[in-house]
Amino acid sequence: MRLMFFELTTEPLDVGAIARRVVPEECGATVTLDGYVRRFTKGRETEHLVYEAYEPMALKEMDRLAAAAKEKFEISNVSIVHRLGKLEIGETSVVISVAAPHRRAAFEACEWLIKELKRTVPIWKKEVYADGEVWVEGE
Amino acid sequence: MHVKVLFFGATADETGTTESTIELPEGTRADAALTEILDRYPKLTASRDRSSLLFAVNQEYARADEAVNEGDELAVFTAVSGG
Repeated sequence: MRLMFFELTTEPLDVGAIARRVVPEECGATVTLDGYVRRFTKGRETEHLVYEAYEPMALKEMDRLAAAAKEKFEISNVSIVHRLGKLEIGETSVVISVAAPHRRAAFEACEWLIKELKRTVPIWKKEVYADGEVWVEGE
Repeated sequence: MHVKVLFFGATADETGTTESTIELPEGTRADAALTEILDRYPKLTASRDRSSLLFAVNQEYARADEAVNEGDELAVFTAVSGG
């Protein structure tokens, strides 16, 4: 089994299964982010979202981020899975799972990873409203 | 030389394509390649600054002075919004 995995899929994400896919023996905690689709953004109601990725580059960037996180924090393993295609409100769009010997490093690495993912991994979301749609441009 | 140019999300909508092939002079650097692409697709900078677009060469973010070579895969896209 691979210890780190990075995936893009149009299938629904099983957060628990992703978090438990790698449970290293030297670790004592896995911190998992379950990011899901919010109904209201800046007061506007979203009907659904569509995610698109530059897939080969996105996977490379995820791999690069995980390697950087391992340098920066006392962690053992990182898994990142992002969903693509159409997502309904409440459905999981991204899972980041970090296993570490001790929880603090896992919490810190997970926060750092989602912040960096939102900044560098080439994935875009289109918000579809009752009366229109817009590709969201990051900061 | 010929290179492939990919567009995603907003840039695909604005150019009306997800992939095109363009011809560039030998020795073109990344920054000049982007200028050429933006000249060809003016809608990309109709409502945003050039500096807010991201540019990749062979699936990695490009440096301005990076060399572009025959057959390279370029990509132009907006600031990412995954998560």
